[in-house]
Amino acid sequence: MAENNILNIVLPVILVLFAPILGGFIMGIDRKLTARMQSRMGPPLIQPFYDVIKLWGKQPFISSSIQPILAFGYFAFSLTSFALLAFGQDLLLIIFTVAIADLCLIVASLNSKSPYSVLGGKRELISMMSYEPILLLMAISIYYVTGSFMVQRILSLNYPLLTYLPLVFLALIPVLIIDLKKSPYDVSASAHAHQELVRGVFTEFSGYTLALVELGHWTKIVLMLSLVTLFWATPIIIGIFLALILFFVVLVIDNVYPRLNWKSMLKTTWSVGVLLIIANIVGLISRVVMRI
Amino acid sequence: MNQEILIALTVGVPPLAGFGCLILNNKIARRVIVGLTSLILIGSSLLLYNSGGLHYEPAPIFEILVLVFDLILLTYFLYTGFKYKNILVIGLSILQLFPVLYFEFILHGAEVTPLIIIDNLSLLMSLIISIIGSLVVIYALSYMDEHEEHLHLHGSRQNRFFFFMLLLLGAMNGLVFSNSLYWLYFFWEITTLCSYELIRHDGTEIAIKNSLTALWMNLVGGVAFVAALFIGQLYFHTIAIDKILKLSPNPIVLMLFASLAFAAFTKSAQFPFNKWLQGAMVAPTPVNASLDSGTMVNAGIYLILKIAPPLSNTALGYSIALIGAFTFLISAFLALNERVSKGILAYSTIGNLGLITMCVGINTPLSYTAALTLLVFHSISKGLLFLCVGVVENRVQSTLIEDWEGLLRRLPATSLIMIVAMMSMFLPPFGMLLGKWVAIDALTSSYYISSMLIILIIVLGSAATSVYYIKWLAYLTVLPMDGEKYGNEKVTWPYSISMLSLFGLIVTLGAGISSILNLIILPTLPEDYYSNISLTLLNVDTGVGSFVTYPIWILTIIIIMSGYFIAKKKGGVIKPPYLSGENVADDPTGFRSTADGIVKIETSAQFFEQEYNNDRLIEIAKIIGSIIMMLLFFAVMF
Amino acid sequence: MKIMTKARLKSPWVLHYDCGSCNGCDIEILAALTPKFDAERFGIVNIGDPKQADVMLLTGPSNKRNQRVLKNLYDQMPEPKVVIAIGECACSGAIFHNCPNTNGGVDKVIPIDVYVPGCAARPEQIVDGVVLALQKLAEKSEKEVG
Ligand code: SF4
Repeated sequence: MAENNILNIVLPVILVLFAPILGGFIMGIDRKLTARMQSRMGPPLIQPFYDVIKLWGKQPFISSSIQPILAFGYFAFSLTSFALLAFGQDLLLIIFTVAIADLCLIVASLNSKSPYSVLGGKRELISMMSYEPILLLMAISIYYVTGSFMVQRILSLNYPLLTYLPLVFLALIPVLIIDLKKSPYDVSASAHAHQELVRGVFTEFSGYTLALVELGHWTKIVLMLSLVTLFWATPIIIGIFLALILFFVVLVIDNVYPRLNWKSMLKTTWSVGVLLIIANIVGLISRVVMRI
Repeated sequence: MNQEILIALTVGVPPLAGFGCLILNNKIARRVIVGLTSLILIGSSLLLYNSGGLHYEPAPIFEILVLVFDLILLTYFLYTGFKYKNILVIGLSILQLFPVLYFEFILHGAEVTPLIIIDNLSLLMSLIISIIGSLVVIYALSYMDEHEEHLHLHGSRQNRFFFFMLLLLGAMNGLVFSNSLYWLYFFWEITTLCSYELIRHDGTEIAIKNSLTALWMNLVGGVAFVAALFIGQLYFHTIAIDKILKLSPNPIVLMLFASLAFAAFTKSAQFPFNKWLQGAMVAPTPVNASLDSGTMVNAGIYLILKIAPPLSNTALGYSIALIGAFTFLISAFLALNERVSKGILAYSTIGNLGLITMCVGINTPLSYTAALTLLVFHSISKGLLFLCVGVVENRVQSTLIEDWEGLLRRLPATSLIMIVAMMSMFLPPFGMLLGKWVAIDALTSSYYISSMLIILIIVLGSAATSVYYIKWLAYLTVLPMDGEKYGNEKVTWPYSISMLSLFGLIVTLGAGISSILNLIILPTLPEDYYSNISLTLLNVDTGVGSFVTYPIWILTIIIIMSGYFIAKKKGGVIKPPYLSGENVADDPTGFRSTADGIVKIETSAQFFEQEYNNDRLIEIAKIIGSIIMMLLFFAVMF
Repeated sequence: MKIMTKARLKSPWVLHYDCGSCNGCDIEILAALTPKFDAERFGIVNIGDPKQADVMLLTGPSNKRNQRVLKNLYDQMPEPKVVIAIGECACSGAIFHNCPNTNGGVDKVIPIDVYVPGCAARPEQIVDGVVLALQKLAEKSEKEVG
């Protein structure tokens, strides 16, 4: 039992420490795959790490004195919320903690007077408004299956959530797209060389603040993908596989679709996404009722 | 100290002190009186809380006094109606005056013993009213001086202002202590009077118009109350609240509760009665602070909390929840498009009251806990937010949030407090979020399958809520590059005392959330509500989820400190924003446009004015709200 | 500290600014960024934001109107940074030589590290120029670190 306890603490700690690094590799895979889809060679897998190390060493320019604190906050609160997940804590709390991270990023981008950054910040705000309900509803529908909001509970299930919540799983795709800042919903930051918004929310970050934000972004992606793995948590390897498939789907969508505007993002998530989840929950309830 | 004396102090001292302020219209006397009253009020409510619940029978003379004052009050309302030729006010006052006469002199309204029952709920409410209410009144000492200075008034009208502010506190305390519906109704009407008088305090045209709106809407509640009195008297021969609550539910009893709930909704400004609270924003800010956080609106919440236990698993309970949830959603969207700071706060108040109402309507032990948590923390946070807004407003001379750009630099301390207060409204690890979290837990684990609809509403509403707060919060931190500074931030002692106390309350109560739940909130649950919340050192466990408390607080502090440390270590030059290279060399606020002309940079906050229009939305919400309100009375049959 | 230099060499983010070129060189720059040459395999990203860029690609001779903008963009780039003048125009003014409205070369406005001649400079040359610039960047980086 004691060993088990140690494992229960050590494993999450390791996970938390490696989450940003894992995120970096995921971003590397992202760039490599995208390049392959565009029949290019693509940068090396560890390219994101080069970027971040380089950024860390650049001359520090900031846009306001609180910007670095907020940039760090974005990273740290993303990590906190991942830590909550790793320790098997409450799903709702995890989602609410991500909101703090988002707040940090949004405030950091809105507090500059740069029009590009402000525009990006506003759109990030709307992105947040788009995906937060989906995540919360996801947590709630998971509750309907497992009777608990705890991640621990999900990890001890002997059946995969996916068989009960297939539509919720589908509803997560737009969330993932928004969080990865991919087309068609990369409204807040034009990810690669789109000149319209310059760099959207990231415009006013440079040097180490950008490095921190980048780390935060990685962590958040790991967090979101881990939420996906929960849908097939036993054995977790299938869940990871599932997450990677979804990630690949998102990349394909990114390379196929042009960017849409924020209104359609909000409309899709609030209508299609929410309806999918509702349909799923209604299905669940009717299944229970039928059994009775 | 004797408990009777404590009751007398909490209910009696504020009106008397108010009377003192009314007569002695000078600054020093006012400060002494208000300071002493606050001390007495806070002290006695704490002592009372400590001594626990009791039953008490006041001297018979008070019954006569209540009757006389009530009749005077109603006549005054009638007079007001005639004075302003407001047909609604006239009609609604007549609808109360004659029934009350009939009730008292022909039906000889039932005897109630004991007249005062103080249970844990009353004690908690009294604590909120006394502490937050007193702090707001202290704050008003400075605010009103500045306010009158700005208005260039000849001769101070502060005496009547403080009279009504203090009277309101006394009446609220009376309200939560009464066991007789009639007494409750009497205090209820006093709060109506106070709100009316306070809203029209500035005497401008719009103030008078809005105060009349507030008056008639609250009088609607009064009429519902009178209806409840009659139902109680005619069918059950009792108007004692403790007895009514013990009646076994049947349509008539439920009708009584529905009337009371209806009255409660008028007070707590649920749709379609949202307009009065919105209109109240023309009043001086301390009034809003008092009405929206500690006092007035809580009367409505108190009433629903009180009548909730018999309503569990009834259609009536569900309709109450629906009204709350609906109000929460609509007010969040209205706030998204609101540009006036106090307007946003008003919508936020309405919305949060909706959330509380929703929790009460769901009526499981867990949701009741959520309601109480939300009530406590909402009062504190909202009170503090209003106080900050008041200070800023007097300095910046504008209530539009867009004019508050870069406040963090102009008024650092105030805006820092304000930012924390805002964050405490919707982010972990603060108490409000804990409340919301418990509410979602309660909703999902409640038995209603149809609670799905409410869940959906709450989830969408809470997303919108975060958006309007973040938007506003971000606006405060925008740094105006011109480095312009607004005067000095010297604040007088009433400001600092009230704001720092509330700030301290937010932080300490938020950090000690487990103890608060354990010591204050769980004991307040009605008798047969066993909440299965378990509290450990690290988390709050509801059985379906667990909220990590201390670790997150500690982490938050570590994160802020290490962020600060990194910022200090790496430092950095503040560079003007990227403007496609068109920056003006020595003027960071502008860029070069056509023909090298200098254009000022203007950025705005996010509004959704092209997507929907607030006026239209209010119209629609009113219709839907009215329909749900009607449902309330249909629901009694099920 | 070698890591830092390596990272810098491996991730040159470029900012491309056209200060009055005929667009011939701009097209060639874009050509260098296309999948055929795939600049991203060297970590090159066209970032479009001076605050995040390491390498500045300049085309055109720069004129009296845009030298202000050029200067500003240069100032907004954090150190270490390198600037590449691409095309004859940027190097010396070329066909705009002695035109009263031009400066005759971007080096009249800001310091240039690498000159890539050619009218227009070919993608191979541009990539070659970037490689040269990276050597300069390495030198700067070593100097800064050492
Ligand atoms: S060097 Fe030649 S191709 Fe390039 S900008 Fe000048 S004229 Fe055009």
